[in-house]
Parts: sequence; structure tokens; C-alpha cells
Amino acid sequence: MERFLDVAIAGLLLGGLYALIAMGMSLQYGVARVFNIAHGEFIMLGAMTTWTLYTVFNISPLVAVVICGPLAFVLGFIIHRTMFRKLQSLSANQGVFESNSMLASFGLMFVIQNIAFLAWGPEIRTYNYLMETVSIGGALFGARRLVTLGFAIAIGVIFYIFLARTRIGKAIRAAGQDPSTAGLMGVNINWVLALCFGLGAAMAGIAGVLISMSYPDSANMGQEYLTVAIIVVVLGGLGSIPGSFIGGFLLGIIGSIVSFYEPGLNMAAYYAIFVILLLVRPRGIMGR
Amino acid sequence: MWSRIRKNVLPLCFCLLIVITILATFIGCKEEVTTTAPPVTATVTQTVAPPATTTAKPAPKDKIVVGMSRSFSGPIAIIDDSAFRPVYETWVKEVNAAGGIFVAEYGKKLPIELKTYDDKSDPATMAQLTEKLILQDKVDFLWGGGGTSFIYAQAPIANKYNYILITMEGGATTLQEMLPSLPYVFVTLPFSTWYEMPVLADMLASKGVKSAYIIYISDLHGVEYNGAAGIEFGKKGIQILGSKAVPPDIKDLSPVIKEAKASGADAFCAFAYPDQVFPAVGMSIELDYNPKVWLGGPGINFGFFHTGFGPMVEGVMGWAGWNRKSSAALNTLADKLYKDKPEDAQDWWGQAYYWAGLDMWKAAIEKAGTLDNKKVRDILATERFQTVLGETWFDKGLLNKETHAGEVGQWINGVYEVVGPFDKATAEWVYPKPAWPK
Repeated sequence: MERFLDVAIAGLLLGGLYALIAMGMSLQYGVARVFNIAHGEFIMLGAMTTWTLYTVFNISPLVAVVICGPLAFVLGFIIHRTMFRKLQSLSANQGVFESNSMLASFGLMFVIQNIAFLAWGPEIRTYNYLMETVSIGGALFGARRLVTLGFAIAIGVIFYIFLARTRIGKAIRAAGQDPSTAGLMGVNINWVLALCFGLGAAMAGIAGVLISMSYPDSANMGQEYLTVAIIVVVLGGLGSIPGSFIGGFLLGIIGSIVSFYEPGLNMAAYYAIFVILLLVRPRGIMGR
Repeated sequence: MWSRIRKNVLPLCFCLLIVITILATFIGCKEEVTTTAPPVTATVTQTVAPPATTTAKPAPKDKIVVGMSRSFSGPIAIIDDSAFRPVYETWVKEVNAAGGIFVAEYGKKLPIELKTYDDKSDPATMAQLTEKLILQDKVDFLWGGGGTSFIYAQAPIANKYNYILITMEGGATTLQEMLPSLPYVFVTLPFSTWYEMPVLADMLASKGVKSAYIIYISDLHGVEYNGAAGIEFGKKGIQILGSKAVPPDIKDLSPVIKEAKASGADAFCAFAYPDQVFPAVGMSIELDYNPKVWLGGPGINFGFFHTGFGPMVEGVMGWAGWNRKSSAALNTLADKLYKDKPEDAQDWWGQAYYWAGLDMWKAAIEKAGTLDNKKVRDILATERFQTVLGETWFDKGLLNKETHAGEVGQWINGVYEVVGPFDKATAEWVYPKPAWPK
């Protein structure tokens, strides 16, 4: 029983982070139609900023959530209102825009990464926060990782309620389904698309804050989380936010089971799932 | 028209910012050429007296160009930034400030000019850039790239074109086996069987350690260290209770740390890189796993391990090369490299060896009196030199183990001390490891 709890809870702890990362990316692609290759860099910015806030200004990472999230939102919003909106107006159709925006996000990734190298250097950064041990049914876990899971679930649920119950959420869903018709119904499409891109960046930023609490960070960390995000987004269904939420937890649990038996096969298992899914159910768990 | 400009001013500014950043990064990383002109009135003590007269002088030359392909960006950038770069930047500045290296065939001192390229942490790119440095740029000498896998790619190229390659960050038993066929390659950094693992096994046996649990990164480095531990620990009767490979990008180490804890092994070893070793430390603290010996590396030897984990580092062990207390010369070197700099910049494993390697290269050029790689190589391979490590020499392409100032280190009272071998220890080994501070 203790072993089962060990594996299951460890999977949920990791899955919560994966879900948060992937939900942001899914929102950006599902509504704003930008397959944001720079998504991992927003995670990195959140993590490195938290490290700076904690080690230089002694600001708690839990407080950093409310600093990094809005900052990442503003950055994402501005980037969409400038770069991606311009690209959209120059693209002949949606397909061309999706290709161009993906290429542009590649460039954005290198720009952010190199700025981060200049700002923080390539060293691995870490800090001690909530290092206490918590026992659940005899299985031991770090308090910081349980806090991370709590945040990930809370943010996922709040975001789902925001999408399902609010007027802006309805506008976002409408824009995701059919931007032209949503525009005709009075939805300010450009604003909504930028909002979605900003929200996706905010989620990445918050994920970065939570990651920095449990894992070492560096200016180079974005790409590895991008890989995970892409796998989860495809697993959940391209553009499906609930799918990403479920997919994140699913991948976390699978990773935990594999790590329990053979840690060396951890990433191999992720890619194997990715390939099997593309062959068996290309639209993902909840894809349209 | 103005309305169009106003309308597009924000996107234009943004694009301009991106272009400027890309250009700045590109220019900064693509090619860095550092030239420090020697002071005209520098007074320097000559190690080798110039000949009284010279005949048939070669074409005039006013500098020694050294080529390097280094990882200024990408995942290996951390190695460049923390290990060899601070050494060569300080060393070249110091040598050039003294006028450069005296080369008899030119009858004068020549300053060093560095020609560096960014290989973006890609060994294939590094191999191409190495050939470019040799064939197109026609540099006088090469210095090594960062990391063991880079040495494997670079060593045969340097050897093929008869260029001396003094390697810096990296070394391996399998590379040692290749060295007889690579006479131009000289390895400075100690590695598993040269003599880290035998020393560690001796140390563990001396304290009665009976068992160990090992995690290792699933690459050449990890496999080699794990294999060496299997042999050396076995010789001392230390039983290996578990040995798990972990991939470079593993996120959750809790299953392996829990398994190690359950094994009850006296010693825990993490033969991996900082990306895995740091999470392993964090997870051990989190799960209150405190074996009698916690050893990891590379990574534990860097100052940024201490700045990151703070007092939690007490008692944690790793690979070590030197310490301020090892000798007066090494204390002076520590001042040169670390004084008035953040602790993050410190590397107590390789930097003394890299510095010694450069000292040997300089002395060999001065003794050869020429920039001919073959003549300099012959001296490097056979002579002994005075460096920061004392009398130093290469033994079949490897820096002789007698010259090593240490193999195993431990964080004691916030200082990374050499604790093994015992005759070179700068502090007494703290065994068993104290509990993680609360």
C-alpha cells in the first residue's frame, strides 16, 4: 500500500506541473493559434525571476506567484499585440499564419534564451524552500512538492471556472471555436487572442515559479519543459484545455511508474506514449 | 504616411529590438577575439634565455594565435562559464601583461591572441570549427573544448593535423586507452580510474564502509564511473546494493532516492552532472535521506553548489582537485581567480589543473624556442615543468597522479576541503556525514 501511494502521489506531484505547463500552451494554440515554441522560455523566466526574488530580495516563492504570473501575462500580451498580430495581418490565411507564427516563436525562443544567458549566466540556480518532509500513509514527500501540487490543481480549477462561467471565458471559447463568427457577434477578437496568449504565458510563468521551488533552474531549462509540454498537449488533444489538464496528470503518473521500475526509461516512455498515441488516436484524449 | 508609421511603431520597435538582440548575441558569441597588447616597458623574468644571435629568421610575427571552439551557449555553457573560461581569461591577461611568451626564433616576446568560436554545445559543430581554426584561420595552437564527449571528437582532428591539444574539462578511461595513438593530445583533468575511484575506495574502506548505492547518468561519463566503482569498491569488499542509471533530463528522483534509503547502504554515490546531482541533493534533503557518505559529481565542487544549498552542503562530498591550503602557490592562484568575485565562480576540481596545463604549454614553447607544434609537443611529452602544482609532467599523455593536489573533497564549515587522499588532505574527513541541517 505504501509503495502504491509512493508511486501514485509522486506521479500526481509531477503531473500537476505538467498539466499547468501544458494548459498554457494549449490555450495559446487552441485559441490564439500560435504553436508557441518559446513556451519553455516563459517557464524559465518565471523560475529564474523567482530565484532572484528569493535569493536577492528574500521574497517568498509563494508571493512570487502573484508577481511572475502578471509579469508573464503582460509580456505575452504585448508580444501578441505586436509581433503575432502583425504576422496575422500579413498572412494570407490561417494556415500561413500558423506556420509563420511557429517560426517566429522559434526566433522568440532564442532571443529570450540569450537575454537570460546574459542576465543570469549559464549556472544552475537553486534555493532551499519548504524542505520539510511530510508523511502520507507512511509514504514520505517534500512539503514544497505538495504545495506545488496544490497550486497546480487550484490554478487549473480556477482557470476552468473562468472559462466556463465568466463572460470573458465565453468569449475565449467562442474565439477558439470560430473566430470570424465570434467577431461578428461583437467579440473583440484581437484583444481576446492577445488575452489568451498572455494567459498562456502567465501559466508558464507560474509553472516556472513552482518548478523553481522543487527543481534546479538555469537559463537553459526551457527546452526540456517545452518537450514535455508538447507531448502533453498532443496527448490531451491539440488545443483542448481539459485534455491538457488530464494529459499532464496521466503523463506524470506514467513517468512515476516507469521511474519506479527503471528511471533510465523515463523519457523513453514519454516518447513511446507520444508515438503510440499518434498512431492509435491522433486527435488525443479530448481533441476535436 | 505618418498615421501608418504611428500605427506600426510598436511592431517596428519590437522587431528592431529582436534584430538588435540577435545581432548582439551573434556577434558576441560567434567570434570573440581578444588581444591585449603587451606593455612596452614590461619587466619579466625569463625562464629561458634568448640565444645571443639568431640566423635565418622566419617571417616576422607579432602574436601567437590560439584557437578554441567553446560552448558559450547551449547546455554545456555552464561548463565553459564555470571551469576553463575564468582560467584562460585570467591566464592570458597575466601572460600578456608580462609581455607574452618569449619565442627564440622570433627573438622577442609574443602576446597571445585568442580566436574563439561558439560551438553551441554541439560536438559536431565543434569538430567543424576545429578544422576551420586549423585550415582556414591557421591558428598557431589549439586549446581544448569543454566536456569529455568534445574531447573524443576533437582529439583525432588535432592529432591528424599535428596540432597539440591540451584538453581541459573532461577525461575518461577509454580516452586514456586511445592516447598512445594520439601523441599530440595531453589530458589535464583527473578522472575515474586516474585516480579518483581508487582513492575513494581506499577512504571508504578505511572507515569500514560495507555497502554503497549508486546512481549514474546514462552516458559515457556515468557508465564509466559506475564501472570503475564496481571494480574498485569490489577490491575493498564494499558491496554495491543498488546501481541505477538515470537519464540526463530526469525530473523526479524520488523513486531512486527512496530505494537508496531503503537499501540502508553506508554510502550513496551520484556519478552524474549538476543537472542530476543537484536534484538528487534536494530530494535527499526533502526525504531526509542521510547516509554516512553522500558523494556526487561533478557539480559538488562548484561554488554555486554552496551558494544554492547554503548550510545544507555540510558533509556532502565530491571530486576535488585543490584547495587554498594545498600549497602557497595554489593559495595565490585562488586569489587570482576568485578574489573580489562571487563564490559562484569557484571550481575546486579542475581549475588548478587547467592553469598548470597552460603553464606547461608556455614553458614548452619557451624551451622549444619555436611555434612548431611538433617540437613543442616533444618537450611537453618528455620534460618536467614548475607550475602551480609544483613539479608537473605528463605521463603517457595524462597529468601524472603525483602532481594531483587531491581527488576527493568535502564541504566542511562552508569550505570545499580536500579530504582524500589522506596525505594531501587539507582537512580531516568528516565521517559519518552530519545530518541535514533543519
